[in-house]
Amino acid sequence: MTRPIPHPSRRSLLRVAGALSVVGAAPRVVRAQGPTIRLGVLTPLTGAGGFDGPRMLKAMQAVAEEINRNGGLLDRKIELVVEDDETNPEAAVRAARKLIDVDKVPVIMGTWASAVTTAVAPLCWESKTFLTTVSGADSITQLPHQGYLIRTQPNTQLQAGKQAEFIASMGMKRVFLMSIQAPFAAPTQARLADVLKQNNAELIGSLIYDKDKTTYRSEVDQALRDNPDLIYLNGYAPDVTILLRDLYRAGYAGARFAQSYAVTSKVLESLPAEVTEGVYTVQPSADVGSPAFELAAKRLGIPQPDSYEAQATDWTSLVSLAIAKAKEATGTAMRDNVRKISQGPGTKVYSAIEGLKLLAAAGEVNYEGASGPCDFNEIGDILDCKFRYQRVEKGKFTFLKIV
Amino acid sequence: MGLAERVIQLLLNGLMSGALLAVPAIGLTLIYAVLRFPNFAVAAHATVGAFAGYVANTRLGLPILPSVLCAFAVAGLLGVASDEIVLKPFRPAGPITTAIASVALTVALENVVRFGFGNELRGYDLPIARDWRLGAIRIGPQQVENLAIAIIAVAALFAFLGSTRTGKAMRAVADNPTLANIKGINADAIGRLASFAGMGLSGLGGMLIGLDTTIDPLTGFRTVLSVFAAAVVGGLGSVPGAVIGALTVGIGEELSLLFLSPEYRSVVGFLVILLVLTMRPRGILGQRAY
Repeated sequence: MTRPIPHPSRRSLLRVAGALSVVGAAPRVVRAQGPTIRLGVLTPLTGAGGFDGPRMLKAMQAVAEEINRNGGLLDRKIELVVEDDETNPEAAVRAARKLIDVDKVPVIMGTWASAVTTAVAPLCWESKTFLTTVSGADSITQLPHQGYLIRTQPNTQLQAGKQAEFIASMGMKRVFLMSIQAPFAAPTQARLADVLKQNNAELIGSLIYDKDKTTYRSEVDQALRDNPDLIYLNGYAPDVTILLRDLYRAGYAGARFAQSYAVTSKVLESLPAEVTEGVYTVQPSADVGSPAFELAAKRLGIPQPDSYEAQATDWTSLVSLAIAKAKEATGTAMRDNVRKISQGPGTKVYSAIEGLKLLAAAGEVNYEGASGPCDFNEIGDILDCKFRYQRVEKGKFTFLKIV
Repeated sequence: MGLAERVIQLLLNGLMSGALLAVPAIGLTLIYAVLRFPNFAVAAHATVGAFAGYVANTRLGLPILPSVLCAFAVAGLLGVASDEIVLKPFRPAGPITTAIASVALTVALENVVRFGFGNELRGYDLPIARDWRLGAIRIGPQQVENLAIAIIAVAALFAFLGSTRTGKAMRAVADNPTLANIKGINADAIGRLASFAGMGLSGLGGMLIGLDTTIDPLTGFRTVLSVFAAAVVGGLGSVPGAVIGALTVGIGEELSLLFLSPEYRSVVGFLVILLVLTMRPRGILGQRAY
């Protein structure tokens, strides 16, 4: 038995047509209503990276919200699925498994500690999930990641080389390196020794210390035995804080040098000013003054986003542009398209929404990010980056230079 | 610095870090002696104590000694409450289940601290003094103060266990709960007292660690493995054992630096456990509470 297909009445047709016209006239925002595009965020909201992680998350959210407000991505809204990696490889692997297997995200953005990224990366490339990171250890981009990984942070080779040049330029001749046990420890040591030597200085000694200790007095004794001009504290905030205290107590009067993620403004607040006086810090610099940097500052409502906020801004932008270019939200599409929108002859764009408009009009884009040009080599390392040097005076950072 | 001076310096450093470790280790072992399960929530209580002391010191402007008492009291009271509400219902299911529940409790409490204070590192309102020097040997004034506080706390506990009626009742429950019950000792009240004193000591230990370093929500968690190691080495359940265990772990880790690179320092603590437990499975002093 067949049922006659009811003819739509003229009135109901009119109703449908009217509704369609309303949708057509509505801004793109209203139309971005399909199932959301879920992007994974795995970043340290707690642990040693707990200072940078939440700020990176805010930067990623700001870009996603801006895209959503301006019509979404492939006419869909972006939804960030956020997990805390606790700056701990085991917790990170559990969280990554959840993002990949349960939430089925095509990308994981935001790993910070090198040990975490090293643990999570194999899960990503095995499941064809794209990974974006700030971890600096050289070994990370040398993993067999088949292109499913980019990092916006300069690698250890680039960082340690530039730092050694800076240290030597300050007239320091005898340098001692204290490193936390981490994947970047050994490569930093090797590169530092090489470049110091080329610049008429010397790495007179080094040691690797265990994290999670309540005191490093004996390690400090060992470092001071060699009478260094400068001690490079290559660790994270909790341990570097203890080292700074123990160096002060030991009466060490020479220079100290650390990464800015280890000596943060919170660290300065937690220590008396005389303990941190004169500490030099370095960080890969955001591309201060560039159009993308200005836009990021405006978006975040802060005058000077730092390198991590800038890099997080760039991940969400790069990933969104790669999805738009490929017209599909998969890890493989990101891998195959990220270099098509980040480098090459396309029109330079400084934000995701600007790039998305151009791509929608079938144009070619070259995203220039807030952290730098965002041009990647074949293993996913950035080709160039600036560094920002600061010195602590009376418990505050004073700017030295950007090189 | 000659070898002899190096050894003396390392011994001193070990003594200081061991004494710091001893305070929460006694807390852990005391609770084990009376309630018969390893309460890993000492980690979170150490953190809570450190933060309670921080609030007393930086927000209320109290000097260090009253702040330390605050750390003890807040962590102790929280210890009683968390044991009554969370862990007590698990006890009939056995010590392993209760121990696992205590791990969950520690994670929960740590996150409450994180919720209230955030992740940032915080320091007490305390000037950092340069070390005293005796020839090539150096000692930190803060460490000496911490050592003194630790010794006073431990001595007070020993006096309490050794010479007060309640202290003796506590030892009786630890040694033989059934016999103690027959004698009319209220095991519940003694259990609460053990939780108060044990967690109070953990809180005090957490603050002492914080005085020497900085604090954040993971302060207790970072040290809990060493604390557990110290208690096990000394004999889980033995209060003097916890002191000896802590000093063994502290001094052992430091002396290892004579022939090992510092990155292996933690390993030494666990090698000590392995060695001691192979020769004396019940720890150096066995399991008698006192």
